[in-house]
Amino acid sequence: MIPFLLRRLVQSIPTLLIASVLIFFVISLAPGDFLTPAKLNPNISPEQIEILSRNFGLDRPVWEQYFRWMGNMLRGDFGLSFQYQQPVLDVIWPRVKNSLWLVLLSTVLFYAIAIPVGVYGAVRQNSLGDKSINVVLYFLLGFPSFFLALIVIYFILQIRNATGLDVPIGGMTSNNYEELSGLGKVLDILKHLIIPATVLAISDAAGLTRVIRGQMLEVMRSDYVRTARAKGVSERSVIWKHTFRNGILPIVAGIGGLLPAAISGAGFMEVVFAYPGVTPMLLAALNTQDLYLVAGFTVITTVLLIIGNAISDLLLAVVDPRVKVA
Amino acid sequence: MTTTSPTTKAPRARGQSQLAVAWTQFRKNRLAQIGGTFLILLYLMAIFAPFLAPDGLSTYSTTNITRFHPPTPIQFRDPETGAFTRPFVYKYTQQLNLETFVNEYRPTTTRCPIYFGVRGDEYRILGLIPGNIHLYGTGQENPECKVYLMGGEALGRDLFTRIMYASQISLTIGVGAVLISTVIGLMMGAMAAFFGGVVDTLIMRLVEVLAAIPGLFLLILLRSVFPQDINPIFALYMILGILAFISWGGLARVTRGQLLSVREQDFVSAAHALGAGSGRIMVRHMLPTMTTYVIVGLSLGIPGAILGESGLSFLGIGAVEPYVSWGSLLAQAQEGGFSSITQRPWVLIPGFFIVFTVMAFQLLGDGLRDAFDPRKRS
Repeated sequence: MIPFLLRRLVQSIPTLLIASVLIFFVISLAPGDFLTPAKLNPNISPEQIEILSRNFGLDRPVWEQYFRWMGNMLRGDFGLSFQYQQPVLDVIWPRVKNSLWLVLLSTVLFYAIAIPVGVYGAVRQNSLGDKSINVVLYFLLGFPSFFLALIVIYFILQIRNATGLDVPIGGMTSNNYEELSGLGKVLDILKHLIIPATVLAISDAAGLTRVIRGQMLEVMRSDYVRTARAKGVSERSVIWKHTFRNGILPIVAGIGGLLPAAISGAGFMEVVFAYPGVTPMLLAALNTQDLYLVAGFTVITTVLLIIGNAISDLLLAVVDPRVKVA
Repeated sequence: MTTTSPTTKAPRARGQSQLAVAWTQFRKNRLAQIGGTFLILLYLMAIFAPFLAPDGLSTYSTTNITRFHPPTPIQFRDPETGAFTRPFVYKYTQQLNLETFVNEYRPTTTRCPIYFGVRGDEYRILGLIPGNIHLYGTGQENPECKVYLMGGEALGRDLFTRIMYASQISLTIGVGAVLISTVIGLMMGAMAAFFGGVVDTLIMRLVEVLAAIPGLFLLILLRSVFPQDINPIFALYMILGILAFISWGGLARVTRGQLLSVREQDFVSAAHALGAGSGRIMVRHMLPTMTTYVIVGLSLGIPGAILGESGLSFLGIGAVEPYVSWGSLLAQAQEGGFSSITQRPWVLIPGFFIVFTVMAFQLLGDGLRDAFDPRKRS
């Protein structure tokens, strides 16, 4: 297990390096340099700019700047956010954590929705339920996630106006968050998370459900499933042990590829639901040309993604014993 | 010379080209045809948008600000006699509600008749054909009246007009981006397969990297290259370029794989033996094996690109004023906090245009995929 993880990490280093080169050069293409916005900011003294300029070697050729930036990053120094007047990492980290909660919860819901629905569609192929689910999913595929979220907000507001039910639809915490007990805090956050996470899960699940259904149908036609049925294995066991476990293999292998989409999708939810995650801050940083912040966010999410990919490989080994991790 | 004799001889069985087979299959697929028809209608709508819309691209009154004007229902019957009359709308007035401090719109009893083919703002269809006739409008004689078929937006412009003009951008950017990314993907894949070695490694690594950075963040990162206040027209080309740049990876990978396997086949060796140059072999013999994949990939990639563009514009990093896309029109639903959305549900209408377009492309794409897939033939 551990050698496998190590090998995965070593393998991902080139990808990470090229990604950082790409990110750095895209940013150095931007008009001005890292410090142009800072120079216009009266709150930053010329001495500070001088220090930053020397730290990041802005007077040197581009490739040398890159190595400095990279070296600083390896030591955990992502530079200074000009907008917040704080080291980038301090600004980013709470946001990244918030976004991670959203992505994790929505991923769990995503599978909790897609797997049963997909399996149902395959087991009861061409039944009324299957057909109507197919139609609904086809429609859902055409919905941009943010539009779905806006519609959900509209209906929740209507319900709230009609019944007075207090469903939170914005932000991450209630106003009285600080006064709540430990468990109360967790529940409060969960209450705020559940709607964006569900909307995201549903809008993403439309694609996966169709894939699972197709995979299940394909495996169900195979010889070993017929053999299992013939020797009298119970139907439940045929479906979940023989069919499902084989049917989801390509899907488990693809989890890593789904993660970037999940993170981007969560970004839209964050914007619509005013959730204090990564994307709203990234957009603000874009508007203020806070380039270190943009670069830092991109690097950190890329690293997280690569870790996620390694985990999905491990998962594949758990599900499919033929894949050896060691 | 005989002019008679309809041939009684059975037509000789002819070899059909792959495209002809696919076309026959496509003709059988009703849903795909419906999708295709809707798309033709949508593109006609986009071309004739200036004619269909009652106003110009960005016409609004600076004296009578009609922010989020509600839709004005079109009346066909005379309220007193109940008889059919020329369609008309009521004129609306604004009043400040002193309890809620919200501007409220109320219909008055003044009627504004609707005329068809009225003269109004000048436009050029496709940038060539000038005109000033609009499908419908209230005409010049009562300028205080306006038909708000789908309500007004944040600056008081007619939402229907904006949606019509937005369709021009929403429908072209996605398609353009997919076309460009297909060209890039094919070229990169072909180069990787053809040159091999360092070029191959570099290109494939780049594909890997583009896949590793979350799409939205990569878009934002690339957007940050350009200053915030760029020329609106240039901004459109920029989105097109960015969308194309981030999405060529998958195709490049497939092209490379396909070409590597084709390279070993006999017809390529034959072309070599006949003395064809490497460029000719690449373009005339190897790349055409990708035709089916590219056609299907195009039609299934376009809805994704349309969704991508709408997302970017929704986040405010896509189309800029005065140009709009359906995504940036939806962004107005967010203005003024959540609670205001219930007071102006019509701002959600542009979203349904996105859904409709994407659905039509999907139906067409699925139909094409099935038409080209020999296993799906009946």
